[in-house]
Amino acid sequence: MKHLPKHLRPRWRYLAAELESWPDAAIDRRAFQRELWYAGQNLLGDPGSADADLSVVRFDFGDGTGKTVIKVRHGETESARAALACIDRIDGSPVGIRVAGISGTIRAAEEKFLGKRGQVPSERNVVFENAERVAVGRNGSADIRLDDAFVGATDLDLV
Amino acid sequence: MYEGVHARPDGESTVARLAKTAAEYGFDGVVVRNHDDSRSEFDADEITAEYGVDVVEGIEVRADAPEQASGSVGNYRSSTTILAVHGGTNAMNRFAVENEKVDVLAHPMAGSGDINHVLVKAALKNGVRLEFNLGDVLRESGGRRVRTIQSLRKLREIVDYYGAPYVVSADPRSHLEFRGPRELRALGDQLGISPEWIETGLEEWKELAERNREIQSDSFIEPGVKRGRYEEES
Repeated sequence: MKHLPKHLRPRWRYLAAELESWPDAAIDRRAFQRELWYAGQNLLGDPGSADADLSVVRFDFGDGTGKTVIKVRHGETESARAALACIDRIDGSPVGIRVAGISGTIRAAEEKFLGKRGQVPSERNVVFENAERVAVGRNGSADIRLDDAFVGATDLDLV
Repeated sequence: MYEGVHARPDGESTVARLAKTAAEYGFDGVVVRNHDDSRSEFDADEITAEYGVDVVEGIEVRADAPEQASGSVGNYRSSTTILAVHGGTNAMNRFAVENEKVDVLAHPMAGSGDINHVLVKAALKNGVRLEFNLGDVLRESGGRRVRTIQSLRKLREIVDYYGAPYVVSADPRSHLEFRGPRELRALGDQLGISPEWIETGLEEWKELAERNREIQSDSFIEPGVKRGRYEEES
């Protein structure tokens, strides 16, 4: 079909968001998109989520952190933000989500808000609460592996 | 804006990690309100110096009955900056709002707890902040979430009518459960709560901490009276 003239095309905003989880989490784009749509539907209802659109256009996740760009209809950014905040876990892994910024183009969203790559996480042996543990860390944070779970800590907790 | 958090062993992250995350999410401080049976040991000054986030020592007194809680409140009042009571039953809600030593009544609507005009008036009189806990809105789904939203609305209507003090929190128990202030404002907007209202509730933690620190400082004698710079130690 012939594409729409420019003034009739919907205008989009792009939400750049950062994701965080435990080091052993594996989250793919499909799972994230599914959870985002569920969250949108549960919070905003069918009409609200149809208005917001909420398509994932960029997604990258590995080693417990990730970044994503989400397409939202102009004027619906606040409801999209609320829906995004309600994503609690993806495929059983708890996730932290933070909107880094909003832009009018995908490229600007990526360059302005998701530019810097974090350090590659490193594993090391640490002493935490008087026991020897393995910690996975980057940028001063450390996720310490206990017998059946992780603990979020920082370099301050490790001596 | 401050956030009231539960640190390890109550939650899954250490105080330092929660403070670091709070800084990344744009909060100015965290109130560590572990339950009294699982307190966390930390050096607030060291963490504040490292991450630039104010770390407030708090406690959430959890008890089955008011008699038991009363002792704990007396014990912890002088050693902690912010004292909260774990609400969620009618007896504990009533105990908290009628006790002027209590700063915050946490999650009054959780479980079987309920609030009415009598309790809100008592909270206003005694300066007890009622907490709007957004945790279940963020992390639950289905019927439980619907009931949580209903109860928050009821609480807000009564609190609004009497102008009672309140605090807002997402109640994170790990660094992954943090949500930024703008996200909470956007969520409030969806629930029919104005963004300014949410912001006031997040700021209230800070005002509470500043007030209590002043009261607990050595120069404070009683309201309006404090040791001035001309006082000589004898």
